[in-house]
Amino acid sequence: MAVRPKVLITKIGLDGHDRGSRIVAAHLRDAGMEVVYTPPWQELAAVVKLALEEDVDVIGLSSLATDHLIVPKLMTKLRAAGLGDVAVIVGGIVPDEDEKALLDAGVARVFHPGAPLESISAFVRDAALRVRAARFPAQEA
Amino acid sequence: MNQPLQEPVPASIEDAQIRWRADYDARIGMDRQVNNRSGIPIKPLYTPLDVDAARFDADVGFPGQAPYTRGIYPTMHRGRTWTQRQLVGLGTPAAYNERLRDILGQGATAVSLIPCNSVFRGYDMDEVDEELLGTCGVVANTADHMATCLDGVDLARTSCAMNDPSPFTLLAFMLATARRRGVDWRAISGTSNQSDYLSHFVANHMFFRIALPGARRILTDHIAWCAAHVPRWNALSVVGQHMQQAGATPAEAMAFALCSAIQFADDCVAAGMSPDEFLPRFTFFFDISLSFFEEIAKFRAGRRIWARLTRARYGARDPRSSRFKFHAQTSGVDLTRQQPLNNIARVTAQAIAGIFGGLQSMHTDAYDEALSCPTQFGARIAVATQNILREEAHLTDVIDPLGGSYYVEALTNEMEERIAAVMASVEASGGMYRAVESGMVQRLIGASAQRHQEAIESGAQTVVGVNAYQVDEDAQSRPALARPYPAQIGAHLREFADWKAQRSSGTVAAALDDLARSAGAQGGDNIFGRVVEAAAVGCTHGEICGTLRRELGFGRPLALV
Amino acid sequence: MDRKAGTDGPPGDSGVAGRAADIRAGDSAALARAITGLENDAPAAHALLDALRDRIGRAHVVGITGVPSAGKSTLINALLGVYAARGRRVAVAAVDPSSPVSGGAVLGDRIRMSEAGAADSVFIRSLAARGHGGGLARTTRHVVDLLDAAGFDVVIVETVGAGQSDVDIAALADTTVVVCPPGLGDDIQAIKAGILEIADLLVVNKADIAHADRTERELGEMLHLRARREGWSVRVLRTVATTGDGVAALVDAMAAHAAAVGVGRRARGRGDGVDAAPPVPIGERLRGLAGRDAYIAHNGIELVESGEGTAVVRLRIEAQHLNFNGNCHGGAVFTLADSAFGLASNSRGVIAAGIDAHITFQVAVRAGDVLTARATELSLSRKLAIYRVDVTRQDGAVVSCFTGTVYVTTRAHAASLA
Repeated sequence: MAVRPKVLITKIGLDGHDRGSRIVAAHLRDAGMEVVYTPPWQELAAVVKLALEEDVDVIGLSSLATDHLIVPKLMTKLRAAGLGDVAVIVGGIVPDEDEKALLDAGVARVFHPGAPLESISAFVRDAALRVRAARFPAQEA
Repeated sequence: MNQPLQEPVPASIEDAQIRWRADYDARIGMDRQVNNRSGIPIKPLYTPLDVDAARFDADVGFPGQAPYTRGIYPTMHRGRTWTQRQLVGLGTPAAYNERLRDILGQGATAVSLIPCNSVFRGYDMDEVDEELLGTCGVVANTADHMATCLDGVDLARTSCAMNDPSPFTLLAFMLATARRRGVDWRAISGTSNQSDYLSHFVANHMFFRIALPGARRILTDHIAWCAAHVPRWNALSVVGQHMQQAGATPAEAMAFALCSAIQFADDCVAAGMSPDEFLPRFTFFFDISLSFFEEIAKFRAGRRIWARLTRARYGARDPRSSRFKFHAQTSGVDLTRQQPLNNIARVTAQAIAGIFGGLQSMHTDAYDEALSCPTQFGARIAVATQNILREEAHLTDVIDPLGGSYYVEALTNEMEERIAAVMASVEASGGMYRAVESGMVQRLIGASAQRHQEAIESGAQTVVGVNAYQVDEDAQSRPALARPYPAQIGAHLREFADWKAQRSSGTVAAALDDLARSAGAQGGDNIFGRVVEAAAVGCTHGEICGTLRRELGFGRPLALV
Repeated sequence: MDRKAGTDGPPGDSGVAGRAADIRAGDSAALARAITGLENDAPAAHALLDALRDRIGRAHVVGITGVPSAGKSTLINALLGVYAARGRRVAVAAVDPSSPVSGGAVLGDRIRMSEAGAADSVFIRSLAARGHGGGLARTTRHVVDLLDAAGFDVVIVETVGAGQSDVDIAALADTTVVVCPPGLGDDIQAIKAGILEIADLLVVNKADIAHADRTERELGEMLHLRARREGWSVRVLRTVATTGDGVAALVDAMAAHAAAVGVGRRARGRGDGVDAAPPVPIGERLRGLAGRDAYIAHNGIELVESGEGTAVVRLRIEAQHLNFNGNCHGGAVFTLADSAFGLASNSRGVIAAGIDAHITFQVAVRAGDVLTARATELSLSRKLAIYRVDVTRQDGAVVSCFTGTVYVTTRAHAASLA
């Protein structure tokens, strides 16, 4: 059976502008992925619990205000929960200076406004396949 | 009043039009279908045949006269231009005050305040991640903080707008500040920006987390209390901007805003208020997208619908009740991260549409909003843009300069029809409150957002620098990052902790008890009146919000894809 | 934390036994990973389930179904709150539909919005239906077994919520709760043959809004038409999930039902509740039914094999079965599959009425091809049975997959057939 990527699309922090996260979630669904979608304002602990129980391959975080500033904290919590292999991507308004800090913290990729949806789904699919192959090595063939 | 707009249409105009059409088709071949964002087909040419000259009085008329299509005041921008209202907010109250004075010195004529997102969410600074404090607005949690924010501002003479969703603690803090300074509340003017809880719920923008029924009660109490105690305060700002930013078409955004206004007015009537008591203080807040003529027509149509419905539905007699006052902000969604300086041109075009649309107050976005929270440099250019448009470009010499344009009048009519159709579907589902509670409005907006995104992805809608005219970017065009100094925020947090420890805890607890009782099931007090009292005796924003959340329930966002 | 497929090992080890030990010990990560394995047919997934077999059958499995917007998610939220207050560990498996076009799915996560969902005693997993009809995912049954084995006191299964077709749940759950919004009104009549029939408990949610009284009355009247079963009479309850009113009473009623009928029903097998089969050989009975079926005769369909809960029929495709493209008309394939479905479901001598069916068309069929449809019984409960019909071509190619659900009555076929 083909691997169907499982992706969590969520928003942490304080901002609620969810147009982007909704559009990305709908696009990933239309690209054949299984998307766990949450409304904004998720607590970090809730995101970790959700990612663990849903066993997602990729977490996509939308940040349009400055909520990306707490992504490094999330990365630490994910690692502590044994979810260090989950690919985390951030989409939204992230200044160049902050992008580097996010990548240093272990974020796989930052997508900026104007990024074509196809480029997002292609990246997510590849990342998910890598994560899944490492988790279920017998399925590689 | 009764003279016709044009000379009678000569009989041959139809023939001339047919001839033009044949020439046009011969040269252009297969004409491309052009729709505006609201889905209205746009013709290549508009002529006298597109407007009914006999309906001039009824549909167009004169500025300051119903149906106010050409503007709500006889003088419009020729008399007094719009209020230049830049949203300001960053970091600590002291940093805000410094920036505010800078903006006022640049020509801004009114005060505006954006609080930190932690405030929007209903929390004090010690309840959220420290990294996020003050990055998008000022961290104001107490009356003392507000006094610092507004230091040096004459509250009796300066119009103040607060982005202050339910339960309106910022206004309460400002009133406490005014009282301390001996300023009469009756002299205070301004607006509770974004007091429209429905729009927050729909767009999940800074939604306050008080469940809808409670938010509904608080707003009605707020309107009633302000009418009695701060008569020059616009207690209600009905927001179409959130919907349009979330993806609604201009026609949908206008329709949803008008339906929300109807909902709030119905609630006020149900609470025993008379329409002419509260309608004059209703204001609106809209987005101005880059769809230039569509935006102008949106505003003209909105004015007309409001003028008619306030009379027909509410029997309003005071002309002020039928005047559609609105603040508008240039659309941040249309700005691009690529080649950010291009955004200055976008904002300029948006602003002109707003001016021709007859706005009363305007915020122009800083060009760097798509990169980060705006920098001081970006904010200055945004202010300068308004100054140039107002004083150099001769845009304000003539009232409603596009009135009488075949295109603009025809488009105004079509937008009105489109808006009315959306309003009818909301009414059919039980009114705006029900339509929002059920998620119907959110689904419509989601679908429109998707369509717009598809138009961009397919290239049907050009976005310069994104899907066309891309260039290798010069890193120098990126502005430096504006971020509060962590040391300032740290000190602010420590001061807050000390201040809380030194308060009279008994007084605070008593005020919060009174507030809880007013919101409780057998309450009967005006909830906002209790908020004002609590703010005055040292209750914090988070304490007030927390008390109300306990009594009125948490609001939960809808998860809709 | 990579977990490699293997065969053996102590707790914490990556082998099947190790992973089974982790799950027994309440390791959520191991449980979550095992569910993913089941969903994707990972090689060791079923071995893992077998290793936990001794633990299966203890949890009270509650199915929550109902039309869209009935408030299922909100009600589950409220249930979690009550269970948490009573110190019960609860797992939720929430099934969402997959897109028939892309195969993708959005797994809305409304359940997690409550404080209850964040508690350590709660485990929530979304499952995409992946094209499986009946309101569940193909693997839901195994996922429920896994959650049961992980030691949860209660396993709640939320169905897709497509309404009438969400009937698989009755075969899986110990207690099936059907949630109805008020104002269902005339719709009740329309859907009573389907989803309402599977209810052990009917809940009128949003009981604070208009029409709730009427809905409750109508549902109550409908119940009078039904016989008591298994020592349990179906009850109608009212809740307001948003405020929690009536939710504790619902939990009590669910517990009472479990006490009355027991838990672990899905493992007890089929056939309970259906009257004993009349003493007529099945082959003879089905030949009789087929012979009386005007449409089977009209289409030239022949019965070639029969058994309890199964039937095989065959059709040679002729010119009269072709569509405008010269291929076999989809309706002809459906007719063949439906005939197998009808015969198999009526094989026990009581009338079974089809209430729902789905079909796929996978390869083209031309004149001269011979199609064989084999119906097999996937599940049979007191009132509902579910069948799968595989339609194959003479060369073995799978032409169509068909699934159908019948409502099983207690009335025998006309005497002349028995």
